[in-house]
Amino acid sequence: MAALPAQLLQAVVATPVATGLLLIAGRRLPRALGDWIALAGFVLPAALAPWLLLTWTDLSIPPEAFRSGGPWGFGLSLNGFSAPLLAMTSIVGLAAGIKAMTQDVEARHAYLGLLLFMLGGTLGVFATDHVVGFYFFHEFALIPTFILTLFWGGEGRRPAAMQMAIYLTVGAMASLAGILLAVDAAGLDWAGATFEGVADALLAKGAPRAAGALTLFGLGTLASLFPFHSWAASGYSAAPTPAAMLHAGALKKFGLYGLALLGLTSLRVTEGALGGWLLWLALGNTVLIGLVCLTQVDLKRLVSWSSVAHMGPVFLGLWVAGARGSASGLDAAVLLMTAHGLSCAALFLLSNDVRVRAGSYRFEEMGGLASRAPVLAAMFVAASMASLGLPGFGNFWGEIGVFLSLRAEPLWIQALAASTVVITAVYTLRAVAAAFFGPESAALARRAEAAPFGDIGWTSRLAAGLLLAALVAVGFMPSLVTDSTNRVSADVVKYARPAAKTPSAR
Amino acid sequence: MSADLPVLVHWILFLPLGAAALQALLLRRQGALASWLSTGAAFVGAGLALRILLTSEADVRWHAELARLGEISVGVGYLVDAHARLMLFVVTFVGALIHLFSVGYMADDGARGRFFAGLSVFMFSILGIVVADNLLMTFVFWELVGFSSYMLIAHYFDRDYAAAASRKAFVVNRVGDLGFILGLAFCLSRFGTLQFEELRALSPAGGWPFALGALLACGFVGKSAQFPLHVWLTDAMAGPTPVSALIHAATMVAAGVYFMARIFFLLDPSLLQIVAVSGAGMAALGGLCALAQTDIKKSLAYSTLAHLGIMACALGLGRPELALLHMAMHAFFKATLFLGAGSVIHGCHHEQDMLKMGGLLRKMPVTAAAFIAATLSNCAVPFLAGWYSKDAVIEAAFHSGRVAEAALLSVAAVATCLYSARMIRLVFLGTPASEEASHAHESPWTMTLPLVVLGLGYSVFGGMLATAMVPASALSTVAGPLGAMTFHAAAPATVVGLAALVLGVLALRFYTAEPGRDALRDRMPRFYALLEHRWMDGLYRWYVDSVQRRVAELVAFLDLLLINGVLVRWVGAGIPALLGFLSGRAFHGGQARAYAAWTAAGVIFIAWILIAR
Repeated sequence: MAALPAQLLQAVVATPVATGLLLIAGRRLPRALGDWIALAGFVLPAALAPWLLLTWTDLSIPPEAFRSGGPWGFGLSLNGFSAPLLAMTSIVGLAAGIKAMTQDVEARHAYLGLLLFMLGGTLGVFATDHVVGFYFFHEFALIPTFILTLFWGGEGRRPAAMQMAIYLTVGAMASLAGILLAVDAAGLDWAGATFEGVADALLAKGAPRAAGALTLFGLGTLASLFPFHSWAASGYSAAPTPAAMLHAGALKKFGLYGLALLGLTSLRVTEGALGGWLLWLALGNTVLIGLVCLTQVDLKRLVSWSSVAHMGPVFLGLWVAGARGSASGLDAAVLLMTAHGLSCAALFLLSNDVRVRAGSYRFEEMGGLASRAPVLAAMFVAASMASLGLPGFGNFWGEIGVFLSLRAEPLWIQALAASTVVITAVYTLRAVAAAFFGPESAALARRAEAAPFGDIGWTSRLAAGLLLAALVAVGFMPSLVTDSTNRVSADVVKYARPAAKTPSAR
Repeated sequence: MSADLPVLVHWILFLPLGAAALQALLLRRQGALASWLSTGAAFVGAGLALRILLTSEADVRWHAELARLGEISVGVGYLVDAHARLMLFVVTFVGALIHLFSVGYMADDGARGRFFAGLSVFMFSILGIVVADNLLMTFVFWELVGFSSYMLIAHYFDRDYAAAASRKAFVVNRVGDLGFILGLAFCLSRFGTLQFEELRALSPAGGWPFALGALLACGFVGKSAQFPLHVWLTDAMAGPTPVSALIHAATMVAAGVYFMARIFFLLDPSLLQIVAVSGAGMAALGGLCALAQTDIKKSLAYSTLAHLGIMACALGLGRPELALLHMAMHAFFKATLFLGAGSVIHGCHHEQDMLKMGGLLRKMPVTAAAFIAATLSNCAVPFLAGWYSKDAVIEAAFHSGRVAEAALLSVAAVATCLYSARMIRLVFLGTPASEEASHAHESPWTMTLPLVVLGLGYSVFGGMLATAMVPASALSTVAGPLGAMTFHAAAPATVVGLAALVLGVLALRFYTAEPGRDALRDRMPRFYALLEHRWMDGLYRWYVDSVQRRVAELVAFLDLLLINGVLVRWVGAGIPALLGFLSGRAFHGGQARAYAAWTAAGVIFIAWILIAR
C-alpha cells in the first residue's frame, strides 16, 4: 500500500484521465452532469498538486512516500524539479478548464474530455521519473492537442495543426531515439530506466554523442528552440485558447524538463560543440525571436511568439548549469519555467477575452478597451508585467537568476541575454497600449453599439485570478519553488560535470 | 528601543502595500474611502519615519533570506543609516502631504481608487529602495518604482499622449536597468556579495573597477533622467500633477541620486569626473530649455532635470552629502512648485499653458504665496532652503578648481532665475490672458494646506530648520555640509548667485510684453526654437524607426523565408512523403489525424520494443 502522498500523486494523474474517458465515452450524458464530471477532473489536481509541492519540501517526509508502482511497468514519483511544475500544470489546467467550460462549442463533452486527456498527460510527464514513461505521457498529451487544434481551432487551424504535428512528431521521435540510445548504452532493464538510474549508469562511461544530439534537438524542438520554433507561433495561435494555455504554459515544459533531468545529467548536452550550439541557439530565442515579436500586429500571435522568445533565458539557465556547473542557472530555469507557464496561460486566456470584445486579435481593430473593461485591462497589465519580469511576480526571480548565473561569461553574452528586459518591455507595453489605452477605436465603438459589452465575468476573473495569485505567491515567496529545486539542482550539476559522484534522491 | 526599529521599518514599508492591496481588491469603486485610506497610511508612515529620524542614532539592520538560487542567496533586509533616515523622512513627509493634496485635486476623478492604489504602490516601492541593505533588493524596488510610475503616468490612459508617455518612461528606464542588471552580475562575479556592508568592508587591490560603478550608474542615469536617458521625464508630465510632484520631482528621480550616494564608495574617480561634467551640462541645458516651454508642468520638468544635474554634479565632485542635501531641499521646494502648478491648473479649469494665464496673484493668493516662496528657494535666495544646498554645490565646484563644472553650474543658476521670473510673470502677474484665467478660483483647503506647509514652512525655513531643529548626530548628512561650508559675500558662488538674482529681477521686466506673448520667442525666435526642439527625442525616433524597426522586420522576413519557408517546406514535404512511402498510402496536406495516428503508432511500437527487452 503506497503512502498517502503517493496515492494523491496517482489521483492527480488519474482523475483527469478518468474523467476525460467518462466524458468521451458518455457523449450522451446530460450537459450539466458532464460539466460536473469535467469540473472534478480540473479541480482535483489543482487542489492536490500544490499541496504535494508543499509536502515535498517538508524534509521530514522521505522521498519514498511519493513513489508508487504502476500498471505500465513504470511508477509515479516526484522530484525537486517536477513538484513545482506539477503544481503549475494543475493550476494552468484548472484555469484552462474554467475557460473551456464557459465556451460554447460543438461536441462539448469530447472537447472537455480531450482537454482533460491533455491535462492528465501533462501531469503525468511531471509525475514519473521513468525516462520512457515521461515520454509516453507527453505523447498522450500531444495527440489530443493536435485533435483539439484541428477540430476546435481558429483561423488557419489545418495548416497549423499539420505543421505542429510534423514538427512535434519529428522532435518527439528524435528525442525518443536519443532516450533509447541512452537507455541502451546504460544497459538498464525497463524498470531501472529512471532519470537517476540512467544518469548513474552513464556517469562513468558517458553516453553516445548521437544520443545527446538527438535529445538536444528533439527536446529542443518540443520546447521551441531556435530555429526549430516555427510550429509554435502558428500552432498556439490556431489552437483553441484552453489548449494553447495548456500547451504553451505546461506541456511545452516537457522538453526543458527532459533536458534538465536527462540532457544535462546522462547525455551531457552542454559539453563540447553541442553546448556551444545550445548557447547560440538560446541567444537566438532571446534576441532574434524577441525582434520578431516587435513586428507582430496580432495579439495572439504576439503572445505565441513571445512564449518562444521567453524560452531563451530558460535554455540559457540550463546551458550555464551544465557548461559551468552553476546550480543557480538550474534553479532559476525551473523557476522561470514554472512562472512562465502561469503568465503565458494568463496572457492567452485574457487575449481571448480581448478578442471576444474587439472581434479580432488585430491591434488595428482594438484600442481604448480599458474604459469598458477595466478589470480585464488590470489583469492583462498584471499578466504582461509578470511576463516582462517585473518583481512581485515569479518570472522576475527566474530571469534575474539566469542573468546572475551567467555572471562569469563575457559581457557581450550577458548583455545579449539581458537585452530581453528591454525588448520584452517594448513589445509587451505596445500590446497593452494597442488593446487598452488611447481613445476607443472606431471599430470597437461600432461593435459596442451593435452589441453592447462590458467587463469580464466572474469565471474569467476566477481563472485569471488563480494564475495571477500563483504568480504573486511565487514572486513574494520564491522559496515555494526553490526549496524544492535546490537539492536536485546541486545534484544535476554534479552529474553534468562529473567531478562529484554522490547522487541524491531529492 | 533599537530592537523595535526593524518593526517600525516593517510598518513604514508594508502599510502602503496593504493599503494598495485593499484598494485594488475591495475599494476600486469607493474613491473617497480609498483616498483617505491611502493618505492615512502615508501620514502614519511619515510619523514613524520622523520617530526613527529623531530617536535613532544607531543604524537599523535586519536581514532575512528569501530563497536560494543555487549558490546565490536572495535576501531582503534593511540598512537604515543616516542617509536612509533623511531620505525616509523626506519621502514619507513630502509623500503624505502630496497624498493630502491629491484628495482635493482628484476629488472629481472617476478612477480615484486606481490612482491612490498607484500612489500607495509607489510609496512602498520607493521606501524599499531607501531601506534596502543590498543591491538586488534595491533593484527589485527600483523596478517596482518604474512600474508605479508607468501606472500613474498612464492614469489618463484614454489619451494617446499619456499612453505613449507611460510606455516611453518604462522602456527608457529599462534601458538603464539593463546596465544595472549587468552591474549586479559583475559585482557578484567579482566580489561574491551584493550586500552594501559586506562590499564596504572590502578594499579591492587596485581600487574598485570602473566598470562596476559605470554599469550600476546606468540605473541612476535612467531613473534620475540623466543625459542621454533624460527624454522620458518631460513626457511623464502627462500624469496627474500630484504624480509629477511626488514621483517626477521629489522622490523617484531623486532615488537615483540616493542610490549613487549609497554606493558612492565603489565609484571610480574617473567615473565621478564623467558624472560631474555630465551633471553640470544637464543642469545648464535643463535650465535653458525650461525657458522655451509654455506648458507650466513641462517648464518645471526641465527645471527638475537641471536640479538633478546639480545633484549629479555634486556626486561627481565627490560630495555625496551635498547631493543628498540638495535632494532633500529640492524635494520640498519642487514639490511645492508642482503642487502650486496643480492648484493653478485646477483653478484655471485644467489650462496648463502659461501664456493663457496671468493675474492669478489676486485670484489665488495662497497658491501664489506658496509658489513664489518656493520659486525664491529654487532661485537660491540667501537663507532660503535652496540656497543652502545649491550654492554649496556651486561653491564646491569653484573650491575644487573644476572650472568647466563651475561655469556650467553658473549658467544653470542664471537660467534658474530667468525661467523662474518668467513663470511668476506669466502666471501670477499682469492680467489674465484667457477666459480660464479670468475665472480662476482658489483651491480647497486639502490642496492649499500642503502648499502652505511645504512652501512656506519648508521651502523658506527648510535649511534653517535642518540646522536648528534636527539633532546633528541624527542627521550628519545635513549638519555635516552646512558646518563645513562657509558663506561669505566674496565667495564665487555668492557672487554668481547674486548676479543671477539680479538678472532674474531684470527678467521680470523683460517678460512684461502683452498677455499671451513670450518675449524671448518674439525677440530671439531662432534661439527659442533651438531650446524648444527636442534633439535627443529626434535621434531616438530615428533609431526606432530607421534602425530597430528595419532590423526587426529583416529578422522576421528571414525567419519567414529561411526557417519557415525553406526548412519547414522541406520538412513538410519530405517527412509526409517518407511516411507515405513507408506506409504505402498517399498523405494529403492537412490530414493531421493521420500524423497523430502515426505518432501514436510510433509510441506503441517503441514501448513494445522496450517492454520486450
